[in-house]
Amino acid sequence: MTSFRYIVRDTFRLVSRHWGLSILTLVTAVSLFFLLGSSALFSLNVKNFVSEVEDDLVISVFIKEGEDASNLVASIQELDYVNDIKVIPPDKGLELLRAKLGNQARAVTLIGENPLPWSVQIKVVKAGFVTPLVRDLMAFPDVEEVVYAGHLAEKLSKVSSMMNRVSLAVLILAITITALVLYNTVKIALYSKQKEIEVMLLVGATHTYIALPFVLQGMILSTMGSLIAVMMIAGSYSSITGIVLSTLPFMHIVNDPVLIMRFYLVITGTGMTLGWLCSWFAVHKYIVRACCPE
Amino acid sequence: MEIRLAGVTKIFDPDIVALEDIYLNIDKGEFVYLVGATGSGKTTLLRLITREIVPTRGQIVVAKRNLRSMRNSILPYYRRELGVVFQDYRLLQHLTVLENVSFILETTGAHPRTVRDVASRVLDDVGLWRLRTHYPLQLSGGEQQRLAIARAMVNSPSVFIADEPTGNLDLHTSEDIMQLLLSINAAGTTVVVATHDQYLVDAYRQRVVELHKGRVKRDESKGRYFVDDEF
Repeated sequence: MTSFRYIVRDTFRLVSRHWGLSILTLVTAVSLFFLLGSSALFSLNVKNFVSEVEDDLVISVFIKEGEDASNLVASIQELDYVNDIKVIPPDKGLELLRAKLGNQARAVTLIGENPLPWSVQIKVVKAGFVTPLVRDLMAFPDVEEVVYAGHLAEKLSKVSSMMNRVSLAVLILAITITALVLYNTVKIALYSKQKEIEVMLLVGATHTYIALPFVLQGMILSTMGSLIAVMMIAGSYSSITGIVLSTLPFMHIVNDPVLIMRFYLVITGTGMTLGWLCSWFAVHKYIVRACCPE
Repeated sequence: MEIRLAGVTKIFDPDIVALEDIYLNIDKGEFVYLVGATGSGKTTLLRLITREIVPTRGQIVVAKRNLRSMRNSILPYYRRELGVVFQDYRLLQHLTVLENVSFILETTGAHPRTVRDVASRVLDDVGLWRLRTHYPLQLSGGEQQRLAIARAMVNSPSVFIADEPTGNLDLHTSEDIMQLLLSINAAGTTVVVATHDQYLVDAYRQRVVELHKGRVKRDESKGRYFVDDEF
């Protein structure tokens, strides 16, 4: 317990002794965690948007006249990627068409007899699965025609996968830069205390006693960096959400407080873990080398 | 704490033989001078005892502990039983006199009250209590040497090792330092001193181990710096 008190005191001495370097590291950590958090939050929103649009994406399958819909439904249910199937009888189909046409619904009555066949409406698990599913559906002999928003589905699928890649790249880049900056900060602190560490080792200080202040220094700077970044993201995100919801109410913005809170906790946790890993790696390497007798 | 060296050889890269086939026994409570010309291997021998380096061949046993096979995790606890005064003092310039001494106790996890009490007593013993708030650079050479001794004493070591403790000091200050070392030895601590100070070795006669080109040339109790036929 007494040793822990000395370790905490030495940690704060380390941070304050190199205050210029500490501030520089903190600013870098804040910027990188802000970049990391913002890009992840943006990606989360794009994913959410894509998934909402995907939910509305429907493939309409029209059955040949005189064929039975139940046989086709049984076959479709066996296919992959299918999320939901709805059978639309001709009468219901006409009703839906009238509702869709609104003011021009009278045009349908001019046709006389109901021209619509039995149809099936299918929802897919993911927009990317629309094209292969349509290919499978076209192969059924009972199917007259398949109508779907193929172009939109493909675009959505591309946007979603591109956003995933961009987010991953930003994430890797930000984590690598933060790790390098933290590693170097701890290394500079170690070199500045080289003489002290040498004396400490010779008078019987344990490796843990020597290493912990440096590890805590890295953890404090990184955690503080991620915390400040999270506060900045939280502030700007809540204002952006407010503006978007009032001006573009149809936009689906991620606004679930539990999900957002978890997201902020993950960013802070990443900061803490990254700080611990980088500083431990730097210190361990240095001390093992310093205490190994020639 | 007894020290046993058996057939110890230390070779540094590339093929520099610092010590060769050393056999030496130092009993508990002994006072030993290590003498010899520069490069004779005195400092290497002290560094072997503190396990800063390990021998190329041979065994070193301190208090029944074989230093060659000692695990690195045990090393800190072994070193706490040693008090070392380095040739260049190795004082921490950004710490005050009191902090330089307290710091040693803190690294071993001593309670703050113990740290305060022991550090004050040791500084008082070496006559530096009044200078406790000074920084090493504000001290004279003799005061810095006394601080280095205080720092080595503070853990109540079983073995006290000093490398040139009176180097660059005037005669009066050297005698002060010598009195300190003798008082440490009188308390039962084994003292090993590497020195070039002929006057002190001759004035305070103790066991003398002379090294020459990495070998033990002479081992004499109550010896002099030079053997009589060298005069």
